[in-house]
Amino acid sequence: MADSAAAPPKPSSSVKLVLLGEAAVGKSSLVLRFVNNDFQENKEPTIGAAFLTQKSHLPHRTIKFEIWDTAGQERFASLAPMYYRNAQSALVVYDLTKPTSLVKAKHWVAELQRQANPGIVIALVGNKLDLTDENAAASGGASTSEGSDAEGAETPETSGDARKISTKEGRAYAEEEGLLFFETSAKTGVNVQEVFTAIANAIPETQMKGAKGPGAAGAGAGQTALGSERVNLNQRAEGAKEGCAC
Amino acid sequence: MFTFNSLVQKAHSLIDASTIPSSRNPDGSPSKAALFRLQFRLPDSQTPQHEITAELSLSVPHSSRASAQGPRENQRPQERGITYVGKLHLSENFLCFSTQPTSFLHSASTQASSAFTGQTQGAGPAGNGFTLALCAIRRVERLQTPNSLFALAITTWNGFTALSGKQGNSSDAQRFTLQLAGSRQSSERFCDGLKKGLRDGVKEVENLKAVISECYSEYLLSGNNKAERESAMLVNGVNQPPDAGLGMVFRYPGDARKLREQSKMRLWREYLRDNGRNATLIRQPTFHKLIRVGLPNRLRGEIWELTSGSLYIRLQKPRLFTDTLSKFTGRESLAIDEIEKDLNRSLPEYPGFQSEAGIGRLRRVLTAYSWINEEVGYCQAMNIVVAALLIYMSESQAFFLLSVLCDRLLPGYYSTTMYGTLLDQRVFESLVEKTMPILWEHLVKSDVQLSVVSLPWFLSLYINSMPLIFAFRVLDVFFLEGPKVLFQVGLAILRINGEDLLDITDDGSFISILKTYFSRLEESAHPKSKNEKLRAVTKFQELMVVAFKEFAGITQSTISEQRVKHKDAVLDNIENFAKRTSIRNLGPESKRLSIDDLGFLYDRFYGILYEREQRMQVMREDIDRRAKASNDKATELVTGIPGNSSIEIGRVGLGPSPTLMNYDGFREFLAGITRWAITDAPTSHQDPMPSRASSVYSGHSGRERSSSLSPWGAGNSEPADHDFMQRLYGKWNKDDNDGLSLQDVATGLAHVKGTTDIMTSISYFFNLYDDDHDGKVDREGILRISEALLFLTRRGLGGSPAPSSISMASTLDEGMDPKGSSADERFLSSVSAFIRRCFEYADPDHPQNQNDNTSLPDTDLNTSMDNFTVGDSDSEEDLLDLGPKPTSFQQASPSNPPPATLPRRTSSLSHTQSKFISKRSANVALDPSNPLHITLPTFRMVILADDLLQQFFESAFPASFHLSDHPAHSPLQTPLTTFSSPTPALPAAPRGGIVPPAKGLRGVLDNIVSDGMRVAGEVRKRVDEAQREIEKSALQRSETDLDDEEEKAAYGGEADRKSVREGDRELLEGEEAIVGVGRGGSLQVEEDLLGGIDAEAGSEEKGRIEFER
Ligand SMILES: Nc1nc2c(ncn2[C@@H]2O[C@H](COP(=O)(O)OP(=O)(O)OP(=O)(O)O)[C@@H](O)[C@H]2O)c(=O)[nH]1
Ligand SMILES: [Mg+2]
Repeated sequence: MADSAAAPPKPSSSVKLVLLGEAAVGKSSLVLRFVNNDFQENKEPTIGAAFLTQKSHLPHRTIKFEIWDTAGQERFASLAPMYYRNAQSALVVYDLTKPTSLVKAKHWVAELQRQANPGIVIALVGNKLDLTDENAAASGGASTSEGSDAEGAETPETSGDARKISTKEGRAYAEEEGLLFFETSAKTGVNVQEVFTAIANAIPETQMKGAKGPGAAGAGAGQTALGSERVNLNQRAEGAKEGCAC
Repeated sequence: MFTFNSLVQKAHSLIDASTIPSSRNPDGSPSKAALFRLQFRLPDSQTPQHEITAELSLSVPHSSRASAQGPRENQRPQERGITYVGKLHLSENFLCFSTQPTSFLHSASTQASSAFTGQTQGAGPAGNGFTLALCAIRRVERLQTPNSLFALAITTWNGFTALSGKQGNSSDAQRFTLQLAGSRQSSERFCDGLKKGLRDGVKEVENLKAVISECYSEYLLSGNNKAERESAMLVNGVNQPPDAGLGMVFRYPGDARKLREQSKMRLWREYLRDNGRNATLIRQPTFHKLIRVGLPNRLRGEIWELTSGSLYIRLQKPRLFTDTLSKFTGRESLAIDEIEKDLNRSLPEYPGFQSEAGIGRLRRVLTAYSWINEEVGYCQAMNIVVAALLIYMSESQAFFLLSVLCDRLLPGYYSTTMYGTLLDQRVFESLVEKTMPILWEHLVKSDVQLSVVSLPWFLSLYINSMPLIFAFRVLDVFFLEGPKVLFQVGLAILRINGEDLLDITDDGSFISILKTYFSRLEESAHPKSKNEKLRAVTKFQELMVVAFKEFAGITQSTISEQRVKHKDAVLDNIENFAKRTSIRNLGPESKRLSIDDLGFLYDRFYGILYEREQRMQVMREDIDRRAKASNDKATELVTGIPGNSSIEIGRVGLGPSPTLMNYDGFREFLAGITRWAITDAPTSHQDPMPSRASSVYSGHSGRERSSSLSPWGAGNSEPADHDFMQRLYGKWNKDDNDGLSLQDVATGLAHVKGTTDIMTSISYFFNLYDDDHDGKVDREGILRISEALLFLTRRGLGGSPAPSSISMASTLDEGMDPKGSSADERFLSSVSAFIRRCFEYADPDHPQNQNDNTSLPDTDLNTSMDNFTVGDSDSEEDLLDLGPKPTSFQQASPSNPPPATLPRRTSSLSHTQSKFISKRSANVALDPSNPLHITLPTFRMVILADDLLQQFFESAFPASFHLSDHPAHSPLQTPLTTFSSPTPALPAAPRGGIVPPAKGLRGVLDNIVSDGMRVAGEVRKRVDEAQREIEKSALQRSETDLDDEEEKAAYGGEADRKSVREGDRELLEGEEAIVGVGRGGSLQVEEDLLGGIDAEAGSEEKGRIEFER
């Protein structure tokens, strides 16, 4: 959606983003959806990590995401610091249909809060929304979906077929920890673009590394709008909640 | 901070050094047998039996008379064929020959035994020669030679099996000669060994048949032309070729014409016909060349099996795969869950894995392997590797090859900590730095992390980095030449792309250059060259040349050296990470402890598990272990990574280590952080007479104790065993697991130490004794509590604001206090008063009194405190007698005969008890026939009524657990025995719980405490017995039996402790003197264990050599 709207002279900068979460929750699939707007039913497990980039066009600037997609199996956990080193943002992903995956996600959040960049922006993402009932109701037809705006259509508490983690639970935890929160489907594309946009918005300009665009210096407006980093984080969390389709 | 280094050192000194004289070969050299196996890729069962220099002569094969083979080193063209000079080795089931001059004699230097790990000149670690299964030899003839040398003509089964017994024409039979070049005597010995091996080999012929029936080569060679082959197949009843992988059904990757499959197949057919196949193959230079150009699809699996040595394992256990599957059908495991998740995600682009056929195979191989190696279980990337193998080989072939991968070729790669992977990344980085310093510098400057890119190369053997057909080419060489190939290829990739890589500025551009490169491997390396030949060279060919020519200097020993160099740093890293993660995930309760405390706890917890593991290892497999240690040493020498059963077993970084602490471990843990948990008995290393050890200490650790050196480790204090500790253990073990997890311990400690609130502390204690959680503690419980109080404070009220330890001197000072009461005495009287008050304020258990019960807890604590008068010990009968000590127990002669329900006991009763019993009738509360209990408020009130007890709960008890606030050394290394003599004392006189007069004041103090505890015990016994009588006569609840059991157990514990304490006293005198020879002491125990093999320190070498054969 935003791609077509890109106007050349916007300032651009890059953001390092890392994906963490239990094996097979759909980290690589989210990235694939975001980068190629594609979905593969049988995606090979990530070995070590994969690296991809994608630009995200915001109204006032362009952000180039440098995405580190990591392996989810428990024993790969000791490799993770290598990848989240210097990351400005993280997607911690769990599978809405697998309770253990939220436990693992919490571990990751704790680790990031302690070991990663102090200002890191973390988004908690519950994936595979398409496997839950509310999805069938709301975004069944939205398979092309980059911008699919399922806002408000879904009411969470009717527990869907395969849903094991309620929206409430995920959101409560996210609020407690000051995280952005989304429920997504890499398969249908619901909310995927939104996650990345929200992250891009949540990162203060000062945190951007090596702005390479022509107007790297002209980011003043954005900066004031975003305010200080912590406060911003919380604001964004609120915003996300509203914007989020759950 | 992290103590594993020191632990490892400790372990080393425990195991390597003189403490256990025979743990290693005298020169610390690795086992020759292991090196032998590594060179010839033999199964673990094989050991070198004989070796001799020999000359291998191969007749000029009829098919390759025009062969282009030029003369080479060690190879003289003769009239009749080709000869190689080398070493001939014989093991139980194999005859091996190699042109590498390796020797596995005992006298051979380590260097001579490991020569094959050095520069291999591309011939692979095994050199030219053969690894011949004895069961594949049909006949050995001694040839007449002019110079009366030993010459043997060997004929194999080739050419016979296929024709089912029908004599093939002689040109089909594989025959070669070996001329032994040793003394007559040694040649004869070799031949005798060979004869024996051949006889034994007959048993394996069936295995051989089963195994080679899965080898495509048999089918390929079963006839010289198609018609012949078909008729042969009819004879054998074989109508289809053996399973050469999914590729036979779903096509092999790549374009067969481009891969020149046909000509490769022709070349291989010729080579195999002339040089034998599978179990009988002879490696000549052509063999290596044929592999370098890429294996043909249908033979690929078999040659991988052969060069990696997995064929020989399969030969020994042909049914392991199917047996494992059937043995574990229906069983579930974490690994299986993880496997299921990935089955659909393995080489999904290959059609075979889009069908249940392929997925089923993958499932079975991964599952079976996860059962035979539960330590590895399943690691992502294994699915990709196995999927790749399955394109070319059968399930059972892939299963064995996977085991060789995990055990030998990729040590530690797939382990739960993946230390092998991380280590090799570090090694790879250091090799890049060495060979391409400019590039390395640039990567560092641009903050690009190399391993981010290279890790998947190693972990999945380039399979998902390069297009499949090229990855398989790398694998072809990898199985032949070993892990160094992965490094050579990786270095070559960077070298070839070096210039482009110098322009990169971030990870992104770095990765994309390599991605592009991999996608263009098929293209010409020199597209613009005028030279047509040069233009025809593909990028992949260029890669192979650079890898094996330019980086020929990277050998297995380079890798091993580097691994050794970086091993500790990598393990430390992993362990630090594990520690951080683990501490973070200990749960909310643990937050009550400081990070430092948690760190300390983590180190202690795993330190103890690790040390215990080590000790168990030493004890359990002593003899075994020596063999293993030297095997592991060999593995380490070759791979640079300690073997599986290495002395570092249990080290967190190396993989799965124990995570649960059993009760004995818990005792040891407590002994390390508290003073009260250290036994009063002399620690075993101070015991001058090992034979006594088992009699001194019975109970939990009796078994370990009698069989070994100190189960608690040399130099460590021996932990006590007490009802209180058992209760604590039970309480902390919330989920009733086999042991305590770190989280259990952290939570447990957070409760006792993380709070200084006296009320919490009191109720915690109360709950420990409220067995059925009904808010009541009965008479038994009260007595147990008082016992515990005495137990916990028998070394003083440590942890009071005063310095951490109550020193001998201060105790003495207090003891000489004009008031005439020491701290211990005062505490004793507090406990005595405690018991009395408990009984006084206890509620009767009768149902009609329930109403009264409820009134008491409601009483405001303060009011009840006001009403509470602290008893004056003069006016009231103390339950615990502090009067002059009787010199011996007196026969009970109660003036008032006890009620009939009380059994008469002939066992000793002190007059205290007599007094007590006589008093009892006057005090209803003490009448065992009146069940009673106290509630928490009562308990609280009783505690708060006494200054000392209050102090105990307020500060002393929580503070008695020393974490990071008190460095571990104080409790650990100075076993505190308050009552022990600081100077070597007289030999102990035998006595029955009474201190001889010579001990003076200290003896008196000692007596007070021990008597106090004994008295409490006796009181309890009496009361119990009465209680039991009553219950019996009332024929009451079925619980009685249970109670009984429990009580007996408790008595056992009590008796134990007393005997320990007695033994203690006898030995304490000698303690100081013995400390100096502590090591000697444990040494002796160890020697006993060895059954006298090493009875004298001086004979240690002999013992070992005997063992090594
Ligand atoms: N129904 C559904 N399936 C999904 C979704 N996202 C991913 N999957 C499936 O879940 C499986 C795992 O997806 P991956 O993206 O590979 O998971 P991952 O988190 O990257 O896994 P690792 O790399 O092993 O850590 C694949 O089979 C996907 O097809 C989703 O939104 N809905
Ligand atoms: Mg992935």
